Amino acid sequence: MVSLSCHRSCRAEALPPPDALIRSKSTATGRPCLLSLGWTLLCVGAVAFGGLGATLALLQRELVDRHGWLRSSDVTEALAYTKPLPGSTVMQVVTFLGWRMGGWPGAIVATIAFLVPALGLMTVAAAAVLALPDAPWVRGALTGLQVAVVGVLAAALWHLARSEAGSGLLLIVLLAAFAAGLFVNAALVVAAAGAIGVAVDRVKRDA
Amino acid sequence: MLELIARFLVIGALAFGGGQAALPLVERLAVADTGWLTPAQFATGVGLSYATPGPVLILAAFIGYHVAAVPGAVAATAAVFIIPVVLAGFTAQLVAKLKDARWFQAFGRFAAAAAVGLLGVTLLALARPVIDIHPVLLLGSVAVLAAELRGVHPIILIGAATLLGAVTGFYIL
Repeated sequence: MVSLSCHRSCRAEALPPPDALIRSKSTATGRPCLLSLGWTLLCVGAVAFGGLGATLALLQRELVDRHGWLRSSDVTEALAYTKPLPGSTVMQVVTFLGWRMGGWPGAIVATIAFLVPALGLMTVAAAAVLALPDAPWVRGALTGLQVAVVGVLAAALWHLARSEAGSGLLLIVLLAAFAAGLFVNAALVVAAAGAIGVAVDRVKRDA
Repeated sequence: MLELIARFLVIGALAFGGGQAALPLVERLAVADTGWLTPAQFATGVGLSYATPGPVLILAAFIGYHVAAVPGAVAATAAVFIIPVVLAGFTAQLVAKLKDARWFQAFGRFAAAAAVGLLGVTLLALARPVIDIHPVLLLGSVAVLAAELRGVHPIILIGAATLLGAVTGFYIL
């Protein structure tokens, strides 16, 4: 789809000596230098449209298949370990993989490089939206956008409900949070639900 | 500005279930609690955050820009990602097993389910301004929902609807 043949400078460093390559066939191969790591993640960040699934495929292709900096199992582990943590899973997978490739410096470089294109585009977009004239076509476009967002979020609700509310108990939590969310601060609702989860787990274990 | 950072730090720390599940937290914060954005502006931001590459929570940059221009965009983005990113780094370092702790798993499961429930509240908040323009427009949302569930990509749907709206506005309104 998009060619990411953008880095040249650090190739020598990124590739391990030939015999090391043979010996370590089943393990991760060379470690990238921070410059090529950053550049690669910047390229991935610029084309990472379409959410978690699409981005995982992209990371797999660039970091595992193309550069050989990581193994497929690193990507699977990154997902498994970061999914339960709070926060953007896409971002956390990138941080996790960055760490695997270069410790804390790698994690920091990967995270910032991946985020820069999105941040730049979004800032420009926000400025552009604020600068739009009050013309009929603008009002029409923004209305169309709103209509689509309602539909897309309804779909997200459906997908997330299926993945995050797998049991009857969790479905009750979901519905209760919906009801509570109409009146109570959202952060409180999430934190309270988590606390109830811990309590329920205690009771279950003691029983 | 400090309030902006503090609020987005809280969102980052409570975003169980991933970025999309955190959208209701962002909506409550930026629209319902503080009035930084109107629901229509927020919907625009959500549309753009789907249409730009990278994580959906880059929405923080959109809101930050509305509150305090470029410094606001950068600050809100840093705030919303810093806690999750540090957690992910430590997880990689220790191959840490916060995620294996039972209490943490239980907390995360319930918190994520609650976040999805809150998405329903956000959906209502975003549907209201659409209904105010004209209730018939909700049929369009239903069509988008149906198309998405049949596998059409959200970016295509948002792009098409925006274009259709622009053309309709230009020729009819």
